[in-house]
Amino acid sequence: TQLVCSNDSNSIKVFVRVRPLTQGTGLTTDGDNGLCLKVTSPNTIRLLSKPEPRTFTYDHVADMDTSQDAVFSSVAKNIVESCMNGYNGTIFAYGQTGSGKTFTMLGPSELDNFTDELRGVIPRSFEYLFFLINREAERSGQSKSFLCKCSFIEIYNEQIYDLLDTASASLFVRENIKKGVFVEGAVEKFVNSAAEAYQVLSMGWRNRRVASTSMNRESSRSHAVFSMSLESKESVNEVVNIRTSQLNLVDLAGSERQKDTHTEGSRLKEASSINRSLMCLGQVIMALVDVSNGKNRHICYRDSKLTFLLRDSLGGNAKTYIIANVHPGSRCFGETLSTLHFAQRAKLIKNKAVINEDTHGNVK
Amino acid sequence: MASLSNSGWRDVCDKFKNAQTLSCEESLKDPVNDPYRSKYKARELIREIHCTLKSLEACEGEEESGGDGREQRASEAFVDGQRDELFTDGLCGESPPGMLTAKLAAVEFYLGVNHAETEELSAGHEHLMNCVMLLERCRVSSENVSLSIHVRNELGIMWTRRDEAEKALQFLETAEFIYQRYMKEDGSPPMDKIEYFTTEEKLLTDQERTEKFEFIYTYTKYYLAQVYKIVGETERAATYCHNTLQRLLPLKQFNRMEWALNAATLSQYYISKGQFMEGRHCLSAASVILGLAEVPSEAAAQESEAASEQREKNRMQSAHISRCWIKYCLNLLEDAKKLLEDNTGELDTDRQDELKRERTLGEEEEVKSRKSALLFGSEDTFDSIASLEEKVPCLFPLDFSEARAVFLVGQNHVKEAKEYFQMEGHVTDHVEILQDHSALFRTLAFFEEDLEARCKMHKRRIDMLEPVCNELNAQYYLMIRRQLMFELAEIYNEMMDLKMIRANTQADTQSLDKHSIKKINHLCSSAVKYFHMFLDSLRSPDGKFPEKMEEDVLRPALVARFRMARLYSKLICSLPSAQLENLNKALDNYTCITQYCEEHPEAAAAVETELELSKEMVELLPFKINRLKVAMVANN
Repeated sequence: TQLVCSNDSNSIKVFVRVRPLTQGTGLTTDGDNGLCLKVTSPNTIRLLSKPEPRTFTYDHVADMDTSQDAVFSSVAKNIVESCMNGYNGTIFAYGQTGSGKTFTMLGPSELDNFTDELRGVIPRSFEYLFFLINREAERSGQSKSFLCKCSFIEIYNEQIYDLLDTASASLFVRENIKKGVFVEGAVEKFVNSAAEAYQVLSMGWRNRRVASTSMNRESSRSHAVFSMSLESKESVNEVVNIRTSQLNLVDLAGSERQKDTHTEGSRLKEASSINRSLMCLGQVIMALVDVSNGKNRHICYRDSKLTFLLRDSLGGNAKTYIIANVHPGSRCFGETLSTLHFAQRAKLIKNKAVINEDTHGNVK
Repeated sequence: MASLSNSGWRDVCDKFKNAQTLSCEESLKDPVNDPYRSKYKARELIREIHCTLKSLEACEGEEESGGDGREQRASEAFVDGQRDELFTDGLCGESPPGMLTAKLAAVEFYLGVNHAETEELSAGHEHLMNCVMLLERCRVSSENVSLSIHVRNELGIMWTRRDEAEKALQFLETAEFIYQRYMKEDGSPPMDKIEYFTTEEKLLTDQERTEKFEFIYTYTKYYLAQVYKIVGETERAATYCHNTLQRLLPLKQFNRMEWALNAATLSQYYISKGQFMEGRHCLSAASVILGLAEVPSEAAAQESEAASEQREKNRMQSAHISRCWIKYCLNLLEDAKKLLEDNTGELDTDRQDELKRERTLGEEEEVKSRKSALLFGSEDTFDSIASLEEKVPCLFPLDFSEARAVFLVGQNHVKEAKEYFQMEGHVTDHVEILQDHSALFRTLAFFEEDLEARCKMHKRRIDMLEPVCNELNAQYYLMIRRQLMFELAEIYNEMMDLKMIRANTQADTQSLDKHSIKKINHLCSSAVKYFHMFLDSLRSPDGKFPEKMEEDVLRPALVARFRMARLYSKLICSLPSAQLENLNKALDNYTCITQYCEEHPEAAAAVETELELSKEMVELLPFKINRLKVAMVANN
């Protein structure tokens, strides 16, 4: 068996995209023409903070005039290619509500036409993936075949909902020794072309909107995860070789809504608003335990559903790109700074391969 | 309220009630684009109450002119530290002016919280400080003590929001002082802040008052726990977490499952600090309290989904607590091992004797004094917690039988944890438990003198880890597999060493039999196989070994090379050509290490000893190889 692993130090790459200033986005910044940042090179951004401006460096920084196609080429192309070769890939969009996450991932919201120049990373990834699949199948004659399945879920309030089956109750994340982490009972649709994949996507997207109005779920507070699993089957001299990989395309909840311990640092967990619940105390203690590194300990609280589901993508053996979307308006300064900080921290995320090694006395 | 008519007072009470409803209930339904609509309406109502009270104060002010000037201190320069004066100076709380002041203070409090909730921090701060100043005019008494603590809690929250933990600490510590002194000197059930604006018939009962008051103080503890954490006083923070949990215990309404989980988590703090007594206490309390949690019956679970979910959740928490117990046992064993081992990793018997002597000499007294410091338990749980504690050792085990007692407790919890965290559905958790089980065996083996018995323990480890390592999907469980591969390699390596020692002691009288050689070689090559697998897992997709290894795999990768080199040179073979081949492989691996460290000098620190030995071997091995070559030529 071939061991799959990408060990380059850049397993998580960060792409920062600055959206253009426009009216009518519902942001408090409407009508504000002051800018709080400047793209200074293809991988640096300068935030006009006081007293000194600060420069941040990323794998790539895209200015306001960057086309959807350019974003796709630098972020997704490579990941889709590695998926063809059997590696998992994930693309996240992160940022404040209104900073352009959905535009980057999907394109204009009223979009039905698959060929629109403004379509986003997701539809472009479909096209490219099926382009590669068809080319590969043709090249190999009859020996190679592909199977592609899609699922689309939403995580709201730590509950998982299936966007392809709105009638289902909330679902659970489980693990299997062969399949890894999966959402139990999530509908999987087989797709044979980019157009079919796009149909699945737009159906789920519609359901997401319906759910957000009828069930009082706010889409800016939910994460949407579109997953494609790709299986390639190759038969050479009676031997069948099967390879699987997964491509996750994630539209994260608005960053301003994720005020948890990690993004907020030193803010107190308050008890009065939580009705005598002790859950917050748990978080306090966890923070205590976390300080004492190196010791073998067990933490009783599970990761969030999202991080658990995408564990492979946050370090480990997957290719991951984070697109950090920022709004250049000066009134967004605070959120933009926090997004830029997050994007910097993201590069440090890694699953440590801690080795249980006896450090004493083994040298004989 | 002499100067306010009955209907006037009723009007104030109604306004207050409306404000409460608006602020707590209506505001939840406010639209996203107008999130504070209800809060703003509530604010208006409280302001109206404020006006009414102010006009009253103006009347009364003629009778009693002004305060004592304390409120003239600038709010910025305020230091919340004149604590004794709070109890000795000022208006009597019961007196009409005292009551009126408390009511005005309460209004300022509500305004302060309202502003803070609508993100107007500095206005909020001003109101809260007004509240503190007003209260300072009065002596602390049952009419105002609850509010005095409450307002300081809020100021604590506010100052941490502004990243000024030191200031927050001042207010919270004063709150703590006020509570303690009040309870010592008065202790009667105090008025709650919602009672300032209620009509007679709706006043709280003494029991309700006490309950609310105790809760407010519990919040103080809870906030202090967090602020101590922020300012870096982790030990204090842990104590306050402990306090918070303890204060909840005697109450009727608290979520036992959450409580147990929090206590279990706290135990992990203590064991990581090496405080096993406290760790054990938290875990025992966690187990006992979880046992008291209400769990729906099986029949109920079949009827309703909610009940079955609740049952499932209870099983999960119980398994989590078992896992905390496993870590407790494991850390106790490992720390004992560290105390007892000599520089070759073997049991140091002198040290063992010394520690045993020390233990009989009065260490128990120290243990007793520590034990009295932090205890959980209410009347009905105290005994069950204590009896559970007695079943688990908390002193470092010093010999095999003591170690075995700890091991068995751990192993029992392994069994229980595995019942919930089954492989199907919980792969990562299940494997982690297996790894802990293996580690329990590893430390137990340290205390075992009989080499054969030790080998059997290691064999158990292999039996539990090897099938999992081979079955886990390499793509999804790369990290776990790396750990397993390395551990398996180490176990085989260890077993080979043990067999070698045994063989060498026998070899004095007889030469190695065929069976032993076969066994040793098998262990040797299995170890090599897993080290190889581990190193292969570091390769890039196109099969290349990384030129520069990442920090987290650097040491393991170089150690793996080092071990492999040694294993190759230990393989026993009769054919000189095979021996030559193995020696060359050993040399290759040693060279790998020295070369890597030459190209990346920063790596040398991670493998200091190994590097030194490798350098020697790179010089020595070629001679050995040459000698062997010469001998081979001569024999031909």
